Amino acid sequence: MSERPHHRRPATFKLDDPAVVVMDADDKSRPSRGTVHITPEPDPALLPVPLEAPIVATRRGFRWGALFWTALGGLVLLGLGLSTTRLIEDLFARSEGLGYLGLAFAFAAALALVVVVAREAFGLARLAAIEKMHLRAAAALLSDDRAESRVIVQDLVKLAHQNPQLARARATLQNHADDIIDGADLIRLAERELMTPLDQEARRLVSLAAQRVSIVTAVSPRALIDVLFVFVASLRMIRQLARLYGGRPGALGMVRLMRHVIAHLAITGGMAASDSLVQQVLGHGIAAKLSQRLGEGVLNGLLTARLGLAAIDVTRPLPFTALPRPVLSDLAKDLLRKRDSEE
Amino acid sequence: MAFTFSDIVEEARLSARALLDYGDHFFHPTIRLGVTGLSRAGKTVFITALIHGLTRGGRFPIFEPFATGRIARARLEPQPDDAVPRFDYENHVRTLIEERRWPNSTVDISELRLVIDYQRQNGADRTLTLDIVDYPGEWLLDLPLLNKSYEQWSAESLALSRESVRARLAAQWHAHLATLSASGREDEQAALAAARLFTEYLRACRDERFAMSLLPPGRFLMPGNLAGSPALTFAPLDVPPDGEAPDSSLWAMMRRRYEAYKDVVVRPFFRDHFSRLDRQIVLVDALAAFNAGPEALHDLESALAGILECFRIGRSTLLSTLFRPRIDRILFAATKADHLHHSSHDRLEAVLRRTVDRAVARAEDTGAEIDVVALAAIRATREAQVQRGRDKLPSILGTPAPGETANGEAFDGTAEVATFPGDLPDDPEELFKGESAFRGLSSASAEKSDFRFLRFRPPQLERDGADEPALPHIRLDRALQFLIGDRLQ
Repeated sequence: MSERPHHRRPATFKLDDPAVVVMDADDKSRPSRGTVHITPEPDPALLPVPLEAPIVATRRGFRWGALFWTALGGLVLLGLGLSTTRLIEDLFARSEGLGYLGLAFAFAAALALVVVVAREAFGLARLAAIEKMHLRAAAALLSDDRAESRVIVQDLVKLAHQNPQLARARATLQNHADDIIDGADLIRLAERELMTPLDQEARRLVSLAAQRVSIVTAVSPRALIDVLFVFVASLRMIRQLARLYGGRPGALGMVRLMRHVIAHLAITGGMAASDSLVQQVLGHGIAAKLSQRLGEGVLNGLLTARLGLAAIDVTRPLPFTALPRPVLSDLAKDLLRKRDSEE
Repeated sequence: MAFTFSDIVEEARLSARALLDYGDHFFHPTIRLGVTGLSRAGKTVFITALIHGLTRGGRFPIFEPFATGRIARARLEPQPDDAVPRFDYENHVRTLIEERRWPNSTVDISELRLVIDYQRQNGADRTLTLDIVDYPGEWLLDLPLLNKSYEQWSAESLALSRESVRARLAAQWHAHLATLSASGREDEQAALAAARLFTEYLRACRDERFAMSLLPPGRFLMPGNLAGSPALTFAPLDVPPDGEAPDSSLWAMMRRRYEAYKDVVVRPFFRDHFSRLDRQIVLVDALAAFNAGPEALHDLESALAGILECFRIGRSTLLSTLFRPRIDRILFAATKADHLHHSSHDRLEAVLRRTVDRAVARAEDTGAEIDVVALAAIRATREAQVQRGRDKLPSILGTPAPGETANGEAFDGTAEVATFPGDLPDDPEELFKGESAFRGLSSASAEKSDFRFLRFRPPQLERDGADEPALPHIRLDRALQFLIGDRLQ
């Protein structure tokens, strides 16, 4: 074919032909001239397929708990409404001016309540959408479904639209969207383009929180202050991470997020305790020997970092495939380096 | 298409049947999975591998309910339709594993019922009944005849038979056709001779060297118990598409028989089987078309377009389930993907996608899902890199079937070979650039053709104790996930 010089002609070789040599895959010897060498390849179907367990178990069935809280909330609201009406009636009975003032306060409170509830609902829906996207992306990576991954990437771009730092990455991704054929590759590309800057920022946030916790624990006079500070710092960190990855959690959203993070920590925590954490604690036992407080500080910092990693897993809209998952040892290095430079 | 009285009666019968099925399916969820494909596309092997995998346990990492262990077991049960032959699964498995031979080809419709016990994701125990209906793809090509008059069909068939490669094969029949006078008196012997020559021309088109696909009416090649009956004794005549046949002429006789063919063969098939399908997989042997040449590929494209026209597709709603069942998922599968190195699978998929493009666009409007996959229901080969001089050829290793030839040498069915079948182009459009896009067996000798896909014997499998071994496959699990995965949530 003149117009297609790359086209290679079909060819067939009998294995019992003397000019044909069958070699092992790890045989690196130079083939001798004039013979044909055949190297069987490992069977791709036999290679293990990595399966990631879903991070948050998807909820199924009727939610009795939700019904209970809704009904209870409704009752409380009705009670509040009733008492407010009574109060305003009483106020009117005393003087008209007081009555109108009370009415105005009641309206303002109702309006604010509606806005707060709407914001909470919006935040919850957004969190749910991100969690669902994580699951969908994991499924698409496995099934290699082109249409589905295209939809996921579009949703992701929409989600990332609020982050102005990603404008360039979004544009690059949209340029590539038409070239890539393979579904899983599209998701990997989206992860590389959109998540790289976010992951760096997330890592910075987590190590910052861990440092803060370790320093405060080391210098704080009372255990109670430690506990309070660790709690507040963790909440702050989780909220920052959720915002970074596109979530807008309100108070209820934070409760939900906290639950998922702790559940995730419970799943992965055992593993972490057995490898990196123990190694870290033992490795830096010298710090503890020097000063008990210093050791406690490092330990608390590492625990916060561990929580941060779990929070990253839960709040990130895509699973880690193309990019490496941040590991505790990286953060621990940050933590100790900072400590060294401060001292 | 204008609705005639018979169309309305036909629709009413379909609706009644659907209503009856709905009542039944309400208590026993059932999927009717249609498996079709043109001759030699690998229908029988696909069904055998699917049943074997589900009942004996195969390696299906992507078929989620199976991989996560939610499917407790799958078992065969007696099928619901008493008048349809049973799919001879046990014999096919034996042929494949013990004799290492591919099973004989499908010549008739057959059916098998598979019951899957599974646990839903919320923990409830359920069963899903999977009725697998296997029918020759040639029958599908008959469905467009329902909307065509005899004169239209004659004109189209004649035009088709005068195209380049076909004209050579149809020469004898054309010669006989020239002696016939359409408005002459009806003549049984002339009709018999015309039908015989027409059938011979169709059969010649199907030869491996030409691998044509668009060959209606399908029953001419697989007559079954209708062989020799008047309903199969007709042929196209050179008549004007909108003419009127004189009484008791040859034309009128042919036209009557053509209508009889539609009544006796096509409509019952459509009503009893085709219109009741929920899911459909169409197996396509694109490699045979590559072997044969651009004409075969072009023909395959028209045949697929014809097949797609007949599907009633669209998202199933309650109303449509009650009165007019629809197919809501269709999978086009390029079979025999094991005849290619896996680095070329994407290109094979691209070629198939290119041929069903129009249909996919239409289906997306109606809400149905269509997907394309390159698969091998049973994988007969392994992969290897062949180094010849400085060339590295991504090749496959396997045992060619007895009688296959390469380099002028015939294989005996025991020798193993490594073969490089030729590069598929990056851009599928290159294969569709008219008649000189690539060279196949229909226009060049075996040494000159651009592609050579050998047929391999089924793989040698080690028996694991008393159990039958799992059959290796390529992407059969992905096909399953697409076809029935959503009903096993």
